[in-house]
Amino acid sequence: MNSSNIASAGTSRYLSSGPLVWTATVVCTTLLLALLKQALWLVVPFLLAIILYYALFPAVRRLTLAGIGRETAAAIVAGGFLVAAVAAMVPTLPWLAAQAVGGEEAFFRYLAGGRVLIDRSLAMLEAQFEFLKQMDFHAEMGRKISEFGGTYIQAHLGDVLLGAAAWLPALLLAPFLAFFFLRDGRRFLKFLGEAVPNAYFERTLYMIDRVDGTARAYFLGLLKLTLLDTICLALGLAVIGIPGALVLGLMAAVLAWVPFVGSIIGCVIVVLVAATDFPANLWVVYAAVGLFVFVRLLDDFVFMPLTIGRSLHMHPLPTVLLIFAGGAVAGIPGLILVLPLAGVVMVVAGTIGGIVNDPRLGARHAFAKTLRARRITADLHS
Amino acid sequence: MLALFQGRKETPRLGTIRQLALFSTLSRRELRVIDGLLHERRYLKGEIVFDEGEEGQTVHVVITGRVLICRQGEPESGRITEIDAGVVFGELALLENAPRALQARAEEDCVLASLSRGDFESLLDTHAVIGSKILLQLARQLGRQLRDRSPAVERRPL
Repeated sequence: MNSSNIASAGTSRYLSSGPLVWTATVVCTTLLLALLKQALWLVVPFLLAIILYYALFPAVRRLTLAGIGRETAAAIVAGGFLVAAVAAMVPTLPWLAAQAVGGEEAFFRYLAGGRVLIDRSLAMLEAQFEFLKQMDFHAEMGRKISEFGGTYIQAHLGDVLLGAAAWLPALLLAPFLAFFFLRDGRRFLKFLGEAVPNAYFERTLYMIDRVDGTARAYFLGLLKLTLLDTICLALGLAVIGIPGALVLGLMAAVLAWVPFVGSIIGCVIVVLVAATDFPANLWVVYAAVGLFVFVRLLDDFVFMPLTIGRSLHMHPLPTVLLIFAGGAVAGIPGLILVLPLAGVVMVVAGTIGGIVNDPRLGARHAFAKTLRARRITADLHS
Repeated sequence: MLALFQGRKETPRLGTIRQLALFSTLSRRELRVIDGLLHERRYLKGEIVFDEGEEGQTVHVVITGRVLICRQGEPESGRITEIDAGVVFGELALLENAPRALQARAEEDCVLASLSRGDFESLLDTHAVIGSKILLQLARQLGRQLRDRSPAVERRPL
């Protein structure tokens, strides 16, 4: 093997996606999620801060180009966002206060509406199918639903609401963290690059670019997808005639961040609202379900390829495995985090795999160390 | 308040970057953007900057010192050219997305400023003016190299 071949050995592709890298990706992602589970109060605001960072970064860059220093630009953009967020919140505060006061009552009203819907549907089914009537299906299911509603939900509702309230202060960390990401993010990347020996420098830069690109494509794609989903759902719900179409659409679109489960929960919420507000008209409920199925199909075949696309470049099989592992290890935050985390781990594992498998880089690093040692000890030999 | 619109003084660091041919046409504001993207690396005499066949992920500019471009593993018999301070190298691999065609070694102790492919491409997307100025400088350097290395090529501009 000549020296040219030695140099190029193992460098033809920086990222190898062999079974070893795949296994390392799945194992490392699961382990990281297990670790992150211990600090979920920090992970969720961190995640929101990253999304904010990618959303606000273009504005900081524009201000920097306009001649404003990085620190000032970050402060202007983060401060501007905070002011805009507060300004957007002010008109909704009275509505939110009203909801908070009658929140529990409204919750049980919608739950009762849902139960009426299920009762009616079961009665219709029993009327259609004789074997269900013989099983006394309607009465049996009704009893089980009553038990569930009466015991489980009432017992856990307080805990859920308290848990959500405990998360609120942590969420306020998000804009604070986003400001520091905007101000010092680039400095941190340079610092990271400087810590790497010369021999590994180009590959490290490549890895940083890939990690940044993957995260940017994923999170910005997610934001665009949420916007498209909100518009479609809000328009559809408004056409059907369901009140609060925009809020419901936004809620369902954000819930869809949780793979698989989120869309179903979003649909159930809208169905509960429709069943409660239009108890005599089942077609409104059917139309809401149909709308959700339609938007889901739009998501899968049109919106996702246009937004998130194949930003993570992952095969469907490990993707599904990872989603299950994420849910099992860290619950709902695990479901949200698992895919972007796996994308980042995959890039890092692939790059490290490429570096470890390239003896030439190791040899170059050893040679550089020898040169430095020789330089340091030069006067000792003379 | 007025200071915000006056612009800040040029720091020694920006002065150094302005001396580099690749960035010599950039304004002070544009130089500040570039400064945020450049990575400074120090190499000892004899140290390898990149190998032939390696995938090129960065373009380098020599700040101080000199870099030797040669055939892989032949620093004496395979010398191609020397890159002096202020001059860019490694740009072809970046532009063509191809493996490095030759080896680069530090001919003497040197300091390099490196710009990654990702940052360069994002610059072209987001700061088209800076990108076009840098590309123009790159094109000028490539033209110079073509004339220097091919005496048969007509010296007059076509």
